[in-house]
Amino acid sequence: METSYETIVIGGGVVGNGIAFHLSERYKEGVLVLDKKYPMSGTSGSTQAWVWVHNKTPSWYAEFNMYSAELYPYLSKKIGDVEYKRTGGLSPFFNESDREKAKQLAESYRKIGIKIKVLSREKVLEKEPFMNPEVAGATYSSIDGNVNPFRLIDMYMRASKKNGVHYSTYNKVTEIQKQDGKYIVVSDQATYVCKNLILAGGTWSRELGEMLGIKIPVNQLRGQILVSEPLKPFLNFTISGLRQANNGEVLMGYSMEQAGFNRATTLDVIQETANMAVRYVPALGKAKIVRAFSGIRAMPEDGFPILGKVPGFENLYVAATHSGVTLSPLIGTLITELILDGETSIPIDRYSLSRFG
Amino acid sequence: MDKTTIICRCEEISYEEVEEVIEHGGRTFDDVKRLTRCGMGPCQAKICTGLVANIIHEHTALPLSEIPLQRMRMPLSPIKLEILATNSTAFSAVKSVLDEVEIEDGKVR
Ligand SMILES: Cc1cc2nc3c(=O)[nH]c(=O)nc-3n(C[C@H](O)[C@H](O)[C@H](O)COP(=O)(O)OP(=O)(O)OC[C@H]3O[C@@H](n4cnc5c(N)ncnc54)[C@H](O)[C@@H]3O)c2cc1C
Ligand code: FES
Repeated sequence: METSYETIVIGGGVVGNGIAFHLSERYKEGVLVLDKKYPMSGTSGSTQAWVWVHNKTPSWYAEFNMYSAELYPYLSKKIGDVEYKRTGGLSPFFNESDREKAKQLAESYRKIGIKIKVLSREKVLEKEPFMNPEVAGATYSSIDGNVNPFRLIDMYMRASKKNGVHYSTYNKVTEIQKQDGKYIVVSDQATYVCKNLILAGGTWSRELGEMLGIKIPVNQLRGQILVSEPLKPFLNFTISGLRQANNGEVLMGYSMEQAGFNRATTLDVIQETANMAVRYVPALGKAKIVRAFSGIRAMPEDGFPILGKVPGFENLYVAATHSGVTLSPLIGTLITELILDGETSIPIDRYSLSRFG
Repeated sequence: MDKTTIICRCEEISYEEVEEVIEHGGRTFDDVKRLTRCGMGPCQAKICTGLVANIIHEHTALPLSEIPLQRMRMPLSPIKLEILATNSTAFSAVKSVLDEVEIEDGKVR
């Protein structure tokens, strides 16, 4: 068994796989991805998977998301059909008083190239006929969409393997040491040596950092989702709260709770989610719910991605973020540039771990 | 079993498709489910769970007792959304994306 690698990526979620794939496009050998379970068993397998941009804040963060969304069509050309659809994104509001806020958002984002329309009630209903007629309006942007996260990871892995990347699953990293300018990675199955080490452990990032005595301030934020039976296509857009997948299922939910690593689904949040869904799209009341799931977001302490070099550790990189589905192609591209070229085409200094002091 | 035997009737997933996931390192029903949709159909895996566990067992020699079952979650059988709804419009855990946008002096914070 090979135990010496140029680069090891710890974590085979959408972030780690995005990095492994983009690396593999530029060098064909010497990359290993380690996962303690199977990719998709982490947060990437329990997500809404909107590729979402238009009302993220502040503007520099929205801009960062936009660059990633722009990479999706090209990514699907390279790795194959990941069911990426640029549906356009619709965020409804029910109080007329929100219109002013929506207009200000549209006005300031116009300057950075994110086109947002503020729709009247009539326009919303014209675009999305099943929306609640009591809606006051919505913000809309054509940049938003969604992707099938399972297909995305599957295709990333297939393409990466084809390019020579090795994967080792059900192989938990338990210890990391720095020795003679290399990293020694001890796992359940073997001890590996590598030059470059990338920590992409998602919501478990804090634990990985501690193995090297580094603080990676990532906390847990649970989200719960309801899934309907397959319905005939009737929703046109990715609505911030629910979307209809290719197979007709509607995925509903946008909840946030602090529950540590507990992946339970709970009746109170399921009920709230049901209330949100029927408020947005009343016809969903008659739809049958077949499944509920929950996932644990990796939430950096200040809410923004932690990306790039780890200060004080040569050849050590970290990528931990929420919105990892949206950001995966961009993070993969930028971390690859950082490792191979020493610099990135889009500045990522503000996302450095060093900001936490 | 024949390669083309259907293991998951609801989602029409064949033996071969389940086998492929295990060959790629999958070890649990959920691994198979996430990659193939096996188990995501109307019966929510009531029919296919045991069959998949057997295939995992055959291919990995893991004892059946060590192959975790799918996590059981609400709803155990399909239920109308309106039955879950309480018609309240007060939200706490559920957020609205626009509510998260903060405007200060006419600018996005
Ligand atoms: C309910 C919900 C809805 C969401 N909706 C969206 C959305 O609409 N759009 C969007 O962009 N994002 C969304 N997100 C966030 C998004 O899903 C995550 O940001 C993304 O999946 C994170 O990917 P990741 O690769 O960092 O983490 P993960 O997928 O969790 O991958 C990390 C991997 O590291 C492995 N690992 C950890 N520790 C070790 C170790 N010691 N040894 C070996 N392996 C280890 C884990 O097994 C895991 O597979 C949502 C999240 C939730 C929960
Ligand atoms: S047989 Fe697999 S979900 Fe019904």
